Amino acid sequence: MIHHPPAGARDLLPLEVAQKARINDQLQQTFHRWGYQRIVTSTLEWLDTLVAGGAISANNVIQLQDSGEGRLGLRPELTASIARAVVTRMTDNQPQRLCYRANVFRNPPEGYHGKQMEFFQAGIELLFAGGVRADAEILLLLTDCLTQLGLSDWQLILGDAGLTRSLLAKLPPTLQATVRDCITRLDYVELSQLPYPDNEAKNLALQLFDLRGTVEEVLARLGKLDLQGECLGLVDRLQALLCLVAASGDGPANLVLDLSWLQPFDYYTGMVFQAVSRQADNCYVLGQGGRYDQLLSQYHPQQQSFPGTGFSLNIEELHQCLLELGTLPTSTAPIDYLVCPVDDTAEGATFRHAQQLRRQHPDRRVELDLGGRSPEELNTYAQAMAVGQIVWVGADGPVDL
Amino acid sequence: MLTIALPKGSLLRDSIDRFQQIGLDFSAFLEPKNRQLQILDPTHRAKALLVRAWDVPVYVEYGQAQLGIVGYDILREKKPAVAQLADLNFGGCRLSVAVPQASPYRRSVDLPPHGRVASKFVHCALEHFRRLDLPVEIIPLYGSVELGPITGMSEAIVDLVSTGRTLQENGLMEIEVLFDSSARLIAHPLSYRVNGDRLLDWVEKLRSVI
Repeated sequence: MIHHPPAGARDLLPLEVAQKARINDQLQQTFHRWGYQRIVTSTLEWLDTLVAGGAISANNVIQLQDSGEGRLGLRPELTASIARAVVTRMTDNQPQRLCYRANVFRNPPEGYHGKQMEFFQAGIELLFAGGVRADAEILLLLTDCLTQLGLSDWQLILGDAGLTRSLLAKLPPTLQATVRDCITRLDYVELSQLPYPDNEAKNLALQLFDLRGTVEEVLARLGKLDLQGECLGLVDRLQALLCLVAASGDGPANLVLDLSWLQPFDYYTGMVFQAVSRQADNCYVLGQGGRYDQLLSQYHPQQQSFPGTGFSLNIEELHQCLLELGTLPTSTAPIDYLVCPVDDTAEGATFRHAQQLRRQHPDRRVELDLGGRSPEELNTYAQAMAVGQIVWVGADGPVDL
Repeated sequence: MLTIALPKGSLLRDSIDRFQQIGLDFSAFLEPKNRQLQILDPTHRAKALLVRAWDVPVYVEYGQAQLGIVGYDILREKKPAVAQLADLNFGGCRLSVAVPQASPYRRSVDLPPHGRVASKFVHCALEHFRRLDLPVEIIPLYGSVELGPITGMSEAIVDLVSTGRTLQENGLMEIEVLFDSSARLIAHPLSYRVNGDRLLDWVEKLRSVI
């Protein structure tokens, strides 16, 4: 029998681990510089906790055996877990800046065999802060993260779930769900064939479908839509956010404002965004996030709601993208010293000398020869592995051979 | 560069014709001697991939092609995550239930419970009979589905019908239409959103020649 990981699960070998760790370390450093502190939540959650926000369907969760108290699942994302932990244990009404690096698990959708099931993510959540400034911090932090990784050729697709919902609400109630579904799936053909009561409704639906482009274009088109009440307030807020991000001087260089961006199920109530990059012939979704001002109430004992926002970055996609750019290490860190005993009587001295080298150079790598190789073989090995130096040790210490 | 997935088979000629009308020439695919699977438009603004019709949505969903042309029947069967941007109004046909002319069945619901239905469109057929609350066994077949009832393997078939001649010549009759199909312009959702390679301009041009 040959043992291998289940389809969709993977082993990562040292080089890939080194590359991904470098990406993740860099991200965590950036998070820390912005004042975010790392939180670790459980890999296992009650299924009910995971699906409470309405964005995760139980089908997408890899479920584990029923413990008798309820069904358990592997977390498909971190936001629900962090919301649960924070709302029950950390509510002192001060903004909480939390970050994580973790693996998440998702059941592939039906019809896809062997699709990835385990993913690695790094992300942040900014909780108990609802203003435009908090939104701006999130977008600027995301930009900083990608800049620090050396990525410049990427695009931010920015939407606003609240505004899109209130634009949809201008349509006849009987059509809203179908229009929403068509726009979510980007199905223009069905959208243009729906039984609209008048041309005004049809025009609005078709305009919503393509309500994306540069900030100026989209705001100009919004201006022609004769908006009132709640819609206007949301447009003002969006404009304030875009102004603030622009004024910071460090915003995303390439922004697509996309007010047609809806997901089939989500807990987002305000801005929603995705960072994407096209390298060679592949499109990478580097990260995603948004504002969720209702989610925390799902986990609060009295259903009290608190604002929250955040994003997660997809380590696999970042890794692929940076590999295309050729900015990742192409080998694991080489050995600096290969310490070899000249004969069996020098074994003790060899261990002592190796340890001395480690103390002397804490950032270098010292490897011990375990025997069975001639000096010629050791030389060939050292050359192949780009070993810095071979150190021969006799019973009384290092010797020249 | 803009990459377009074109379907081999019955939709190819019309697909190439539409792109020719908007200034992209992939007619080399139509030459009998052609063995190339990927060709560049002479103006070097786009390239086309020649793939099986069933594979068009796969290339587009994974983003290796930003645009593609494929029948609605295949989109209904495979439910790929692609944007559907226009009905191109060619390649018209319908997915129908057909039975032997000599059989007593005249509607889907007349079929016996737990009967057998042969089809290449397994999901569409399942959906259809599930909606009727009629339990049937679907037998997947990938060609000459008409042989299912002829050999007695199945009571009915669910298959594409354009003129109805093949059915007639094989002693079958169409009893119910599941849906009408025609060629659709599809796009990779993210590429469409970020308008990479000026995708929207090409989509507008294609819409203008429907």
